[in-house]
Amino acid sequence: MSIAVVTDSTSDLPVDIAKQHGISVIPLNVHIEDETYLDGVTISADEMYRRLPDQKIIPTTSAPSVGTYIEIYEKLAETHDEIISIHLSSKLSLTYNSAANAAEEMKAKGTRVEVVDTEQASMALGWATVQVAEHIAAGGSIEEAVALAKSSSERASFIGMVDTLKYLVRGGRIGKAQGFVGSVLNIRPILTLIDGEAHPAGRARNRKKGIARLVNMVVDAAPLDKLAILYTTDRADAEAIANQVAEHIPGGTPIVAQLGPVVGNYLGPGTLGFGLIRSESKNIPEPRSKK
Amino acid sequence: MANSQTRIPSGTSSRLTGMIRATAKAVEANRDTINALNVFPVPDGDTGTNMLLTLRSIVDNLPENSTESANNVAKIIARSALLGARGNSGMILAQYFKGLAEAIGEDSDLTGEHFARSIRIASDSAYKALPNPVEGTMLTVYRECAEVAEKSASVNPELTSVLSEVAQEAINSVRRTPELLPVLAEAEVVDSGGFGFAVMLDGAIRALRGEEPVGRVLEVPMPYGKNFSGSVKADFVDASDEIDWGYCTVFAIQSEKLDIDAIRDRMTKIGRSPIVDGTDGIAKVHIHMQDPGEALSAGLSYGQLSNIEISNMDDQASAWSDDRQRERQNSSASPTEPVEIAVVAVAAGDGLSNLIVSAGLGATSVIEGGDTMNPSVSELLKAVESAPSNRVILLPNNKNVLPAALEVPALSEKDVRVIPTRSVQTGVAALLEFNTRSNLDDNETAMNDVLGDVGDGRVCKASRDVTIHGHEIREGMSFATFDDDIVAVGSDPLFVLTKMIEINVESAEIITIYTGASLTHQQVTEATESLKTKFENVEFEVVYGGQPHYEYLVAVE
Repeated sequence: MSIAVVTDSTSDLPVDIAKQHGISVIPLNVHIEDETYLDGVTISADEMYRRLPDQKIIPTTSAPSVGTYIEIYEKLAETHDEIISIHLSSKLSLTYNSAANAAEEMKAKGTRVEVVDTEQASMALGWATVQVAEHIAAGGSIEEAVALAKSSSERASFIGMVDTLKYLVRGGRIGKAQGFVGSVLNIRPILTLIDGEAHPAGRARNRKKGIARLVNMVVDAAPLDKLAILYTTDRADAEAIANQVAEHIPGGTPIVAQLGPVVGNYLGPGTLGFGLIRSESKNIPEPRSKK
Repeated sequence: MANSQTRIPSGTSSRLTGMIRATAKAVEANRDTINALNVFPVPDGDTGTNMLLTLRSIVDNLPENSTESANNVAKIIARSALLGARGNSGMILAQYFKGLAEAIGEDSDLTGEHFARSIRIASDSAYKALPNPVEGTMLTVYRECAEVAEKSASVNPELTSVLSEVAQEAINSVRRTPELLPVLAEAEVVDSGGFGFAVMLDGAIRALRGEEPVGRVLEVPMPYGKNFSGSVKADFVDASDEIDWGYCTVFAIQSEKLDIDAIRDRMTKIGRSPIVDGTDGIAKVHIHMQDPGEALSAGLSYGQLSNIEISNMDDQASAWSDDRQRERQNSSASPTEPVEIAVVAVAAGDGLSNLIVSAGLGATSVIEGGDTMNPSVSELLKAVESAPSNRVILLPNNKNVLPAALEVPALSEKDVRVIPTRSVQTGVAALLEFNTRSNLDDNETAMNDVLGDVGDGRVCKASRDVTIHGHEIREGMSFATFDDDIVAVGSDPLFVLTKMIEINVESAEIITIYTGASLTHQQVTEATESLKTKFENVEFEVVYGGQPHYEYLVAVE
């Protein structure tokens, strides 16, 4: 019995990690003016962030079609018995819904596809998918994989500190972080996903303090199973965070990954953050805002 | 992005018509913003519309085919601009197209030199056309653009090169308009017509370079990297109504010898609508003053004063503005929807109240109070009781309010936590730690934790001669305190502010300055510039606080 593992491009999984674990990544669509691009495939993150600040261009994104999923599921079904498809929060996108519809079609054709709404995004989703792939590689069943995908997602956190909320607002994904909008002071909002929606996780008076805050948040969340430091445009800052974090938690320097075009479209250039999965406990409160 | 290199029209006249069409598209894309910026000369919000209609009347009259010579096209443009000009801005715009036609003259091409000349003619004739040219308007933008255009054309007369330099200068010039025209600064806008002109140039240069779309939304160039809020500052409307009002000041002067004519002359110089009359030994003065004290002082030099009556002529308007103020407080300062944890904060000044509400994530209400009006225990209790949660965080934001605040938890049924914020500066820092997702205990800890990270500075004027901690301070002098120690004394508030920052600059990372109600926009601008220049390594944020008594409140983090 072999099981295929699928996620979508909002997992921001680096290509080598996806490849290493045999994970299939389905791209969302990015629409800029009249062009449609495949997230991270026909448009790179760097290209996206180069174009984002142009005020005239307001890129939009859309979920992969049901047909896209079916095509990939069918291909995987040739070499696998079952499929687990692990996705972005259904409150942010129709990506999960498309997958769930495609899974129904596949069921009719005799292939079992389990679809999981992680209520997460970016590397919080990415790491949950990796943990599932690792479990399957070690001989786990699809039932165990589904349970693990859920528990991993619950232990996962995705945190982003943005330069500005304008991308989140114009993209309609401000969620419960609405209270941050209209601040008189020039603050750096720190956001997280809770129950699949954007929520405030803290504020910093400037970037430097914000970076220190992010480091504290990671250290507070330890012990960790998985950790990636994330950025849209400022790799050097992300590497600095990775090095500072490495001093405080075991496991060596965490990986540094770039947020992809779709996730980055809502966070904007200058964003820094992290995606992690905590160890052990299944019901951990969100990281404390300050040490 | 479409590469439309090939779409650049080859002939001069089609190049010209292409640029004109592009300016109209650009203004169309930015019309609402240009309208929203409009406060001068009449704040009626129609500059963008007027400019657009003027440009459309030009576009409608452009020749269909490109066989017309450039000079004929320019003449058609100038004529239709003048005939179609709408409003003040449209009239000034027509001057520009008149300049364009004159500059091209009988030539068949269109170079950077033509453009430079056209904008110079536009500038000169616009200044002449207006009886009272005012700086900080489209006129200034024309003039400054003309200077840059001439300089640029003398280096490289190629049209694209000149136009792109001028388009950039137009943006810079617009950014400077609030420095020249205080009404813009007060309303927190830049000149609308000038911005409209910058938008036109942006469209023209994009057409010339073949960039698509030619009409893009342009960011409003605000001073100091601020963002245009999208509308005129709320306070501006009230303030502008008060400009011409003042105090009706009436008094009698008694002296054995009175020179009525001399008093009348004197009063005419210092106020408006003076009426001075008198009989033996008594003169009666009636005058409208911005500062009634000035008239009284003048009167005192002639004799003793009696029957002094001073009334604010703006009772009606001020009542109206009081209502507005109350409305604003009711709408913004008191959350009514139930929240997990509510915050009640004490503050004085409209700016600080707004700031606290905005930093309070929709859970915060403000009680007016501070140094000279400490809210009572019962006022604090009332605010806590009406807060929309059973869990309340109370920020006294003043050392003198703290004792009253500490009484509240025992008196309230609610779970009330007092964070001992000794100043509004520390209060804001604490409030920024407020997290709607955390519980009361964690919020209390996080807020308490930052209190030590903030140093409090204040700058104010001595209201009488005093000696504090061995410092003799004369009435009217400014002095600065930092964490309650006097650190600088001087005649100029900015000087003592600078001294105070100098002392703390080593340990500072961010300095937030809340500006007081008494400061003019120009004072704030000067202070901001001066501090940013002097202390390059510190991040400054200057925010309107509107607090009484203190010219500046300073938070050093």
